[in-house]
This record gives sequence, structure tokens and C-alpha cells, in this order.
Amino acid sequence: MLDGILPDSVLLPIKNKVGLSSLNEIRLRADKPILLSQMGQKYFLSENGRTRSYNEAMFATSSMIEEVVFRASECSIYSVNEQIKKGYIATPNGIRIGITGNVVEEGGVVKTMTGFSSVNIRIPHEVRNCSLKAYSCIVKPDGVLNTLIISPPGAGKTTFLRDFVYQLSERNMPYNALGLDERGELNIGRGLGNYADIISFASKKIGFENGIRSLAPNIIVTDELSEWEDVEAVKFASNCGVRILASTHSDSIESFLQKAAFKELIDENVFKRYVVFSMREGPGTLEGIYDENFSRMMRW
Amino acid sequence: MKWVIIAVLFGICVAIGYLFSMKYKKRVQFYTALIMFAQKLDVEINFSRERLKKLIEGMDEKTKRNLFGLDKNFLNYLSGSEELTQEALFKNCPVLKPEEKEMVFLFFKSLGRSDVLGQSKEIQNFVKRFDENLTKCASENKKYGSLSLKLGFIAGLFIVVILL
Repeated sequence: MLDGILPDSVLLPIKNKVGLSSLNEIRLRADKPILLSQMGQKYFLSENGRTRSYNEAMFATSSMIEEVVFRASECSIYSVNEQIKKGYIATPNGIRIGITGNVVEEGGVVKTMTGFSSVNIRIPHEVRNCSLKAYSCIVKPDGVLNTLIISPPGAGKTTFLRDFVYQLSERNMPYNALGLDERGELNIGRGLGNYADIISFASKKIGFENGIRSLAPNIIVTDELSEWEDVEAVKFASNCGVRILASTHSDSIESFLQKAAFKELIDENVFKRYVVFSMREGPGTLEGIYDENFSRMMRW
Repeated sequence: MKWVIIAVLFGICVAIGYLFSMKYKKRVQFYTALIMFAQKLDVEINFSRERLKKLIEGMDEKTKRNLFGLDKNFLNYLSGSEELTQEALFKNCPVLKPEEKEMVFLFFKSLGRSDVLGQSKEIQNFVKRFDENLTKCASENKKYGSLSLKLGFIAGLFIVVILL
């Protein structure tokens, strides 16, 4: 999965001593120890695997980070510059690499990024059946209710979205699902099932408009609503009679309610269900499911 | 028997002259192919933004053949995780002088390292320099290429005359 992206000196201890199956993140910062995030716990990477000892830790270098970014772009930075401008690179196998460096701006517009100084390699996991706990609250006899997944970063919202759409197809609900995969994360593993179309790397606005016009979806699945433009796209889809399954970053229902961009969607009851995740017991901790009036329907 | 030896020696002289002239011709072919290669990359990077590996694999056979294995060596580098070195890049490519190798190496090393605009400018700069080299190679080929062939022929004749 990480072959050809990480140098052997880093990859081999990870593959042989740590294991990729439970690894969530690998962070490389120039001249700093390499950090691993595994099941919600933080470790340093050493030649012998993971360690808590700073002295045993392996250090990343600037050239190592430059090379990781170059290799992650399949040796073609120009082909992923639009992603780099947004601070990440998505690899074909669903790995998302967050990057930092020197942002080159001209006239208030980001042109590119150079001098990469850190990368955060997020390893996607397929957690089968993880959406089943919430399934009956979201799927009703008359169809799927508009649902927003609320979670802090890395708590499993994308994994939930993927599994939920897959479960729809497994239960013979031939919903034409449209996955708007802005960052190349939705369509990995067994993907979104048998009834899904995927538009990759398009903005929400373009994806919603083109998808609704040309693909006539019953449900649109998309990750990480954040800006006004995303909210407008959701309203557009909702007004067209398309059901929506989306996610957003927030650490609780209370902090979500403070987000100004979502006020209109909340007031108009566009979403009928809110599924809240946290990191309390590691990634994928389901905190609760709420209805459109924010009454808790289920508690764990 | 004497005539056979004379004929063989004459043939060897002409062949040596031909080989020398081919050296100059190959250099012209190499730079022509390299310019074609760079210009095609420039167009495709601007148009399709396809990954380098796919673009290089899709180059026409004639261009690839005249690059004397540079394309394959570079593809090996793209597929592996080793650093690009001159030894690896110019394996089986005997037509370049050391200072030319340095420039061509820098060209390949710069590929895929910047955004579309930067990459395109960089390629165009290299194409200008390759073009200058092509002009030099073409005039060398004109001067020394045909001269080598003639010299080989004359040397052959000289040996024939002596032996007779």
C-alpha cells in the first residue's frame, strides 16, 4: 500500500514490525521524530518498530519529505497541483497525504506549494458493518433520510459513509447512489457497492450540479461539508428531491450548532438525522444519533 | 588469396570509416529524438496532465529507439524507489559526451518536480539548449561524418595500392 511512497528505511520497520492493519497515521516532519498513530495511541517509529522512547526514534529529513511528496504524486507533481494547492495528495489506493510547506500566492490565489516540510499519511481502513448500528435509524420504509455525520478528524466518518452505502446495495435497495469523492477516499476496498457512480476530485458545486443533471441519483454521498458553497450545493440537491448523506468536522453536536455556515440547513430541517462520532474509545466511537430537532434517539 | 586479403582489408577500412560516421549520425538522431520527446511531454503535461510514466510509455517507437534506452532507464527509476543517478540513466547510451550527459541528466531529474507552468518553462528552456546541441551535432555530422567515410575509403585504397 505504501510501497513506492515511503523510503525503505521507513517502510520496512512499519511493514515488518508495526503492521499496516491497525495503523491510522504516519507523520513525517523535517528533522523531527517520525510519529505513528495506532488505534488512537501515539508512538515514535524506531528501527525495531514502535517505541515511546524519543532517543530510539527515527528522524525524518527534508529531502525524505520532498521525495515522499514526489513519489505520492507518481513522480508527477504537475498532475496533482490542484490537490497540493488544497494541502493534500490523494493516491489511487485511497491514501490521503496531508502536506505543509511554503505556499506560493499571487494576487490572493494559491499557485502551488514548495519546500515541503511535513506530511501526514492517513491510511484508510475498511471496517465492515460499522454502519449497521445506525442503519435502522437512517433507513425508513419510504427511503433513506437526509443524514449528516458529525465527527472530529480521523474518527471514522468516511469509513461509515462507505460502509453505509455498501449496506444499502447489500440489502437490495437499488438506490442509485452518487459518490462525490472530492479527495479520492470513498472508492476504496469494496467501495460503495453495486449501485454507485463516483465523481472524483470535483468540487461539491460542480459535482452536485453535474451529477444531478446527468446521472439522476436517488442519493448523493459526500464527505466533509465545510464552506458556504458546500451548503448551497446541499440545498440545491435537496430541492431537487435527492437524498443526501454527508459528513462534516465537529467534535460534538453542540459545537456543530455553532457553525454559521450550517444555520440555514438546520433551520430548514434539511437533515433528518445526525450521527455523531468521537475518538473517546478510539476511531469509530459512535456517540449518538439525533433527529432533526436534535433529540437523542440512541445512546451508547 | 592475395586478392581476398586485399578485399578484406579494404572492407575493414571502409567499415571503420562508416562506424565513425555513424557515431556522428547517431548523435544527431539522439538530439532530434530528445527534442521530440521533450516537446511531446510539454504538450501532454499542459493538455492531459497525465502521469510521467504513462506519457513516456506512450511515446512512439522511433523516438524511443533513438533515445538509446534512456526512456527505459528513466521508467525504471520512476517505478523503483532508488535515486536517479547518471550511471543508471545512461546505461547503454554511448553517444553523449560527459558535459552533455550532465545537461541531459538535469533535464530528466527536473521532470515531474513542479507545477504545470514551471514544468513547461523548464522543458522549453532545456529544448532550447538541446536545439543548440543539435545544430552543433548536425554540423559535426556534415563535417566529420562524411569525412570519416571518405577517409576510410581512401585508407582502404592506400592499403590496396601498397599491397599491389
